[in-house]
Formats: sequence, C-alpha cells, structure tokens
Amino acid sequence: MACSSSPRPTKVQEFHVYEINERDRSSPAYLSLSQKPAHSLGDLVPFTNKIYTGDLQKRLGITAGLCILIESKPEKKGDRYEAMYSFYFGDYGHISVQGPYLTYEDTSLAVTGGSGIFEGVYGHVKLHQIVFPFKILYTFHLKGIEDLPQELTAVKLVEPSPSVEPSPAAKACEPQATVSNFTN
Amino acid sequence: MASASSLKAISSLCLSNPFKSSPSPSQTQRLLGLNFSHSHSFPTLKSTPTHQSFSNSKNFPTAAFFGQNQKTAERSTQPTKVQELNVYEINERDRGSPAYLRLSKKEVNSLGDLVPFSNKIYSGDLEKRLGITSGLCVLIQNVPEKKGDRYEAIYSFYFGEYGHISVQGAYLTCEDTYLAVTGGSGIFEGVYGQVKLQQIVFPFKLFYTFYLKGIADLPAELTGKPVAPSPSVEPSPAAKATEAHATVKNFTN
Repeated sequence: MACSSSPRPTKVQEFHVYEINERDRSSPAYLSLSQKPAHSLGDLVPFTNKIYTGDLQKRLGITAGLCILIESKPEKKGDRYEAMYSFYFGDYGHISVQGPYLTYEDTSLAVTGGSGIFEGVYGHVKLHQIVFPFKILYTFHLKGIEDLPQELTAVKLVEPSPSVEPSPAAKACEPQATVSNFTN
Repeated sequence: MASASSLKAISSLCLSNPFKSSPSPSQTQRLLGLNFSHSHSFPTLKSTPTHQSFSNSKNFPTAAFFGQNQKTAERSTQPTKVQELNVYEINERDRGSPAYLRLSKKEVNSLGDLVPFSNKIYSGDLEKRLGITSGLCVLIQNVPEKKGDRYEAIYSFYFGEYGHISVQGAYLTCEDTYLAVTGGSGIFEGVYGQVKLQQIVFPFKLFYTFYLKGIADLPAELTGKPVAPSPSVEPSPAAKATEAHATVKNFTN
C-alpha cells in the first residue's frame, strides 16, 4: 500500500464548556430496565442539558445522549457509566464523544467526530464534575480542525466551584449572550 | 462450565434467535447460567465465520478521509503507521452481563431490543488482565436465513492507566466484523483505525485485532505474541486472579 494518506493535522486547540442541568429539560430519564433495586447493568439514562462558554457569559446549546450504567461501585459511593453523547453549538455545529463517566471522579472521553466547524475533529475531552449531577466543566483538546472562533476560546475561564452560575443574560438567552442559533 | 467438546460444537454453529422462546428476564438469567442445549442465551457475540466479509480491510480510504482536511495546516509528512493490537474479551459471568432488554416486546429478536454489556479483557497472549469492555448492542434485525442477528454496537475497551479505545460498528452473530475505532484517551488519545472482531465461543469469548493509527508506539506489555484463538483458550491463572504481575497498572474493573 502506498503511503498516500496525508497525516492528520496535529495542532491542539483547547476550550472550555460548562454543562448545567437546570432541571427544565426533564433530564435525566433514569430507566431502571435492569429491574433491580440498585443501579445495575441494564439501566439506561438518556439525558440532555444546557451548555455555556467557559466564562459562563454565553449560551452555546445543549448536550444530548445516553449513559449506560455499567456497574455500581459502592466502595467509591458512585457508579460507572459508558457515555455516548454530543455537544451542540448552534450554527457552529456539534462534537460527538464516547467514553467513561464515573460519578465519583474525573474522566477523559474520546472525541469521535463532529460537524460544521468541528468536521474532522479528533482528540479528547476532560470531564470534571463540580456538583453531581448538575454542573460539569469540560476541557476539550481538539485536533484536525481550523482555528476555533474567538467567541469560544477567548474567554476567561470561571474557575469551577459549586456556586458557579451562568450570567443572567446567558440564562435568559438574550441575543448578545448566545451563539448564533444556539441549540435548544 | 460446559466441557470443551460441547463448546466446540457450539462454536461451530451460527446461533440465532436467542430469545425466540424465552423472552422473560428471569429466563434470561437462567440461560446465562448456562444451558448450552438451548444455547444462544445471549447476544453480543459472534459466531465462527467461515468467510470474511471485508477482504480489503487494510485499504482504508484514508485519501478520501483526509481530503476534507487539506484546508488545515499540516504539521507532519510522516506516513501513517498501522499498529496491531490483540485483545481477548471473555465473559466470565460475574458482571451481570449481558442485560438483554426486550423492549420490542416481541418474541423474536426485534428492533427495539437493547443489550448493555460489560466483560473482562486480557492481552492477546492471555498473560495479563487489561480491564473491561462496556457498552451497548442495539438489535437491528434478526436474519433468519443466516440464523443470526445484526446489532449496532457502541462500546469501549478500558486498559487501566493506559486509557481507553472507543469503537462503533456492526456486530453480526454469524460473521466476523470490522468496527470503526472512533477515538481514545490516555496513550490512545487521537487514535483512529478499525478493529476486527472474531467470535470464538458464542457468546463468551472473542478475539480482537486492532489496526491502530495516529498514536505513538504501543508499550511492549500490550503487544506480546497472541495465543491463537480456539474455543479452549483461557486467561493464565495469574491473570484471572489479577495477581499484581499479571495485570496492567490499575487495570479497569
């Protein structure tokens, strides 16, 4: 086989996203399909939450996907899930991810692909849980794409803490506090 | 566990319709306890294929794939090296897996059925416990003429401190398949490529050959000479017992 394949661009771009469950999207939907009292393999958890920029000043869109309960870890007072979901950024497009979600510690998920400005993307994303299960901070490490717009990257990260909240304007989706056609 | 000879007999069959006559969850559990005479208690795994469906597995359409990225700056002109990695996935029946969710509410395996699962994985030489698989098989259709089922599978392989590899693709209970490697983390960050799935004993033993690109050379611990797949393969007693020298660091459990 000739070495005809161009190597993928390897410049890494980072940006942050806050995922916040404002409890107004009927999420999560915990499906106890294992039919056992404790969390067991078989339970499925579809979910969808809102996402904001790292400075919590703009509403970006939503997450949407599925967590599959793999096993309960009583010694860690938490559970292991296999998660597959996407982040939607309005007109910018979306990023899909797949990997572990442990309710008791930070994890790293694979970035499996994307659309729009994220078309061809690969890399990984670090998931940092702030308040289980309502507030999560993500740090994306992306390769294979053009330089990201300033709207997403030129933000001063609000340091994660249990009390972080989106700005009132972002929460109210005022036009200057959202990306174009933010996903809802 | 059933004797090797009955396992051989099972592995030579292409099993299908696991739940044709036993839809209830309690019956599922009983079947998992192992009743080979009715077999196929459960999905997730494959049967011995006699013919590979993908003859051109290595001629991956990379040119087409990368065509769309030409607009971005390229940082390297090195050719994309393929690394092979072998993994055994073994269901030791101690993880409550699989969980066949007959959501279609039909007696025959039908679209709507979902099968979450999680099994143990070992290095190709069966000397080290690596971690686990975890994910979901989505029943797509029952294929009666092939006496099997088609699933769409989305799952990950966890390698302890090394990280994980995520995959997605077709799982056919009657054939070997190739799944897409969609990404990874840790030493597998940025990985892409495909993985060949070979069923050895339905549904308990599978042999994978990963064809990985985009990552640094794999550690020697993972690339030992693989044991040739056969129905009687077993992890080494030390690996099964997860003795310290027979696992990767912080193997996933």
